Amino acid sequence: MQVLIVDDSQIMRKIITGVLKKLNVNEILEAVNGQEAVDSASKNSNVGLIMMDWNMPTMTGLDAVKKIRAAGNKVPIIMCTTEGEKEKVLEALKAGANDYLVKPFNPKDIQSKLEKFLAKV
Amino acid sequence: MKVEHINPFIASVIETFENMLACQVKVGKPIVTRDDDGSDDIIGVIGMTGTSKGIVAVKFPVPTALKSVGKMVGMEFKNIDPSIIDGVGELINIIAGNAKVKFQGQRISLSLPTVVRGNMYKLNNLTGAVFVTLPFSSEVGDFELLVSFKTVEKPVDKKEAAHAGANS
Repeated sequence: MQVLIVDDSQIMRKIITGVLKKLNVNEILEAVNGQEAVDSASKNSNVGLIMMDWNMPTMTGLDAVKKIRAAGNKVPIIMCTTEGEKEKVLEALKAGANDYLVKPFNPKDIQSKLEKFLAKV
Repeated sequence: MKVEHINPFIASVIETFENMLACQVKVGKPIVTRDDDGSDDIIGVIGMTGTSKGIVAVKFPVPTALKSVGKMVGMEFKNIDPSIIDGVGELINIIAGNAKVKFQGQRISLSLPTVVRGNMYKLNNLTGAVFVTLPFSSEVGDFELLVSFKTVEKPVDKKEAAHAGANS
């Protein structure tokens, strides 16, 4: 199974990659904006989980979630973002995100969130 | 600028460093200035707009920038490279985003972060509000958070956030 990390920050992608490798997930794809995420999710049928940032250039993570769901793709998506207001969380969940992780997070937060979804796949 | 405008930023810096860097920080006495002094630092800056508008910037001396980003990602950095620039941008993004959530009853949008070197750029204040400089000390070194922020009666368009930032 592949995990797709979508974030315009290479440092954030490295942090999430580090946690995934600790969980023995080594097939990791990266995208730097929502459009790349949409393209990658449609091309790679082995993507079993997406970690999605919200604020990115070219296309936001929220728009990417909408496009991925509009294409009929039911891959689990965890929003991983600084947008922590309740209405933003609800907006993302309504758009089709499965879960939500607000930055700043500590390694335990993201590890437990990932473990929850990886156990289901 | 009121105390209730500053406290969310202080709390956000403390939470961001505790969570992302496993690092305790202490805040010193705030300093009020008209403009930034343009020193040789790595500055991450982000514009805020909506029911309040302004800018927030984090100023890292080079050694603090190297240690902060290194601690965040578990690597050692010896020079300013694209990873450091990216990391400082992500830190100000998280600090501003986390502070934004703490403003009760306000609707605030953030611009994408910009990172500049202080010896080439100077932060100019276009909002008419003063800068409040919050000095922080930590195990990764000293740094400052600059906040220039004011409540507006009529919310401004989101596009304006992109224009609030660094000027050469």
